[in-house]
Amino acid sequence: MNNLQGLADYAIRAWFSVPDPARWPYTWLVYLGFILLAGLIAVGFAAGFAGPMSFIERRIAGRMMSRIGPNRVGPQGIFQFIADGIKSLLKEDIVPAEADRPLFLLAPYLVFTGMFGTFVALPFAAHVIAADLDVGILWLLAIPSLVVVGLLMAGWGSNSKWAVFGGVRSAAQLVSYEIPSAFALLSVVLFAGTLSTQGIIAAQGPWPWEWFIFRNPLLFVTFFIFFISALAEGNRAPFDLPEAESELVSGYNVEYSGMRFVFFFFAEWANLWVMSALATTAFLGGWQVPGMPAVEIAAMTGWRFVGWEALSFLIFALKTSVLVFVVVQLRWTLPRLRVDQLMTTCWKYLVPLSLITLTGNLVLLALVPERGVVDWMMRGLMVLIAAALALRYLQRVRANYLADRENYRKMEGKELWYPPYRLP
Amino acid sequence: MTPTEIHQRLLEVFGPDDILGLEAELIDPVIVVRPGALRAVATHLRDAPELAMDFLRLLTGLDRPDAFEVVYHLFSYPKRHSVGLRARLDREAPTVDSVWDIWRTAEWHERETWDLVGITFTGHPDLRRLMMPDDWVGHPLRKDYQKPSVYHSIPTTRPKPSSQAPTHVFPPAEHVAKAEVEGEWMQVNMGPHHPATHGVINFLLETDGEIIRRARPDVGYLHRGLEKLAEITPYGNTMPYTDRVDYLGSMFTNHGWAMAVEKLVNVQVPPRAEYCRVIASELNRIASHQIATGALAMDIGAYTPFIHWLRERETINDIMEIVCGARLTYNYMRVGGVARDIKQPTLDRILTWLDHFEPMIDEFDRLISNNEIFIKRLANVSTISAEEAVSFGLVGPNLRASGVDWDIRRDEPYSVYGDLEFKVIVGQGLRGSVGDAYDRFVCRVLEIRESVKILRQACLNIPEGEVQGKVPRDLKPTANEVYARVEGARGENGFYIVADGQKQPYRVRYRTGSFTGMSIIEHLSPGLMVADLVALIGSLDVVAPEVDR
Repeated sequence: MNNLQGLADYAIRAWFSVPDPARWPYTWLVYLGFILLAGLIAVGFAAGFAGPMSFIERRIAGRMMSRIGPNRVGPQGIFQFIADGIKSLLKEDIVPAEADRPLFLLAPYLVFTGMFGTFVALPFAAHVIAADLDVGILWLLAIPSLVVVGLLMAGWGSNSKWAVFGGVRSAAQLVSYEIPSAFALLSVVLFAGTLSTQGIIAAQGPWPWEWFIFRNPLLFVTFFIFFISALAEGNRAPFDLPEAESELVSGYNVEYSGMRFVFFFFAEWANLWVMSALATTAFLGGWQVPGMPAVEIAAMTGWRFVGWEALSFLIFALKTSVLVFVVVQLRWTLPRLRVDQLMTTCWKYLVPLSLITLTGNLVLLALVPERGVVDWMMRGLMVLIAAALALRYLQRVRANYLADRENYRKMEGKELWYPPYRLP
Repeated sequence: MTPTEIHQRLLEVFGPDDILGLEAELIDPVIVVRPGALRAVATHLRDAPELAMDFLRLLTGLDRPDAFEVVYHLFSYPKRHSVGLRARLDREAPTVDSVWDIWRTAEWHERETWDLVGITFTGHPDLRRLMMPDDWVGHPLRKDYQKPSVYHSIPTTRPKPSSQAPTHVFPPAEHVAKAEVEGEWMQVNMGPHHPATHGVINFLLETDGEIIRRARPDVGYLHRGLEKLAEITPYGNTMPYTDRVDYLGSMFTNHGWAMAVEKLVNVQVPPRAEYCRVIASELNRIASHQIATGALAMDIGAYTPFIHWLRERETINDIMEIVCGARLTYNYMRVGGVARDIKQPTLDRILTWLDHFEPMIDEFDRLISNNEIFIKRLANVSTISAEEAVSFGLVGPNLRASGVDWDIRRDEPYSVYGDLEFKVIVGQGLRGSVGDAYDRFVCRVLEIRESVKILRQACLNIPEGEVQGKVPRDLKPTANEVYARVEGARGENGFYIVADGQKQPYRVRYRTGSFTGMSIIEHLSPGLMVADLVALIGSLDVVAPEVDR
């Protein structure tokens, strides 16, 4: 915010020849203009993630279901989300006659704001962050709570019983799962000693054994607690109860149409990126480039600076994309939990487990000196376990592919028409 | 026991005043009972240990010129014998005692009979219309039924669209009632357009939050009057209509109808045609079970298994297209045979596909059947005991999942099922208790495997020869009654035909698995959660047009 204010002051001095903006009567007007402009840029930036995310998810889902997915608009269908957006903009915005009009109209914006507010504190690269807040993690935990309010408003305002079901479900679910996810992030905060997102990344290193996830076994568990809670907070399968198509038709958004409907899905797809980015930041070392400390990047100038920034952004995007892929894969593989099972999972397993890991992490923090022998042994062990798991995963992928190819050859009498690395 | 022995025994117990006679000349003999004694006779039939008629297959209302008749087709699972009961009622005031508490399945059957034939059942707890709207006038399956000219100021007939502009005015839309919270619970309409109802069905839910107090199915949205249509259509020409009874299992309804008519006119079916029928039926069974299991997985929230099943089903559709020219409503069988032969290349293709398909069942199991969340969602949900299942007239996989070892293909072999080796799948309580939703799911998956076995044998052993027997040009059976049944994908598909010597049947009644499956939902619903109800509907594999016919 300070940067924005400085920029606005600079503009006032330059354009209107006002020496002291604080005493100028129209300063607030210019400030307002700049805030709107910044908001526009932020929404555009965030939509730049939400839109392609919808395309990617649909293509991956298509591949998993042995169909193709959108491939008509643009090369390989990559402009599908733009076409969808334009279509939704042109559609009629229907408000049910019996709906609670103000609530109904306001709800999508709250959901939208809550989800896109998180982008402010997400560190995309060494210096690409809207605001490196001192309370970044708190902000990231607090601002999505607006989503709950929005979903409840949407559910209640629609005046449809199915929407109420969806709204109440989402409120119960999101409020519950905020607890384990907050505890999980608290462990990270303990180790990093700061709430700032950039600070947390700086506390880790670029190599896997320097990441928090492999720091010790408890943090490894904590990562999964966080990941599961984040899935539930984002209404992603297997926790997509608020919008369970087969039970609640579509849940809280059942009465919405046109652009308001899209806002909900914007938020959902943006959240896909946000939760993965948050996990990357807190556990997977963020954007750190191996062999190039952040301080050195900051000291560079000109194109070298831009290049290293871009590289760090790429690394961040790569790590996040892997997590996004896992989330999408989970969604199209797993069935949905029931409401009581969802609550059981949270209150009987995740909350106690997160408390245990938090306490354990405190103990480890006190007993195990950083970069001591025990610390390195734990890190090495965790990395080895993770490498073994990754290797097993790749083996399974290869075996499945080979079986697939053999089957295809037998059935169709010709070779499989796609190589394993390419989307169809 | 044979029907004659049962009749003798009933005569000994009740005497000739109550037991009026035995119509032994019918293909499926019927004992005539005095209406006043019906309840006593029915209770005796069910409770006497050597009779043990625990299954009411079908309850039919008949409009004869001189009297109304109610026909009960009974069967005994322990004793494996069957008989019909008939009560002749007064033409002016047709009234008979209800047997809903003796066989629970009678509850819905009696409602339908009251609705369509207008026979009053005294003592029935909830004698409302089932198929027709509650304010409908008249009983459409009566022979003297006159269609009302106007329903809710909408004419039931209309002039040719070209000749006249529409004259009627739609009534003003009723004000949509707001959430009516009466005391502690809320009424929710689940349907008629709801993704989980598998067709146009409405469930009136009374819920307390997520927990259901009662779910009342409201059926009849797809009532097309197929029984009435059969009364005005010649025997052979009804075949395409039977496709529409159950669009996921047309082969079984085809087969059942063909068998019923063949019994009436006494036609022999050539062996190759029987094999063709079995091959087509089993392919259809695989396709139908794929939809059932896949849709259940989709109801639970996993889309991918359903799409994978649809991919495999596509091959079945292709084969069906080669075999009979249609992909959904097959219209494949004829009285006395089948429409077209299954040629050798098609048989080879089926065998190749089976080699490909069997590993796919394993893949499906890996993907969804053994998924922990899926098991947690289905195990111990809406468990149906064997007694309940029999009393409510559940059939097919739903019955077998509850632990009743009964399969018409094995126990009353028809067609060439007697020559084929296969196992009857019975619910084991694999992950929970016997008869829970997971058992019903697993039964279907395992039956797919058995169908694969049957198909292999049938494709390899099919004899050469004709596929159409000698059938008279005009099918004019003499006055007779027949009840033929086949094991469909959703259980017993029964066809009760009353012939009166005309080219058309006098009365036709279809007995379907979904109808009785639907009738048990209200009984099971209290205490379920909304998500469980979805699982229950999916696991019962209810197909809406089969309920309504």
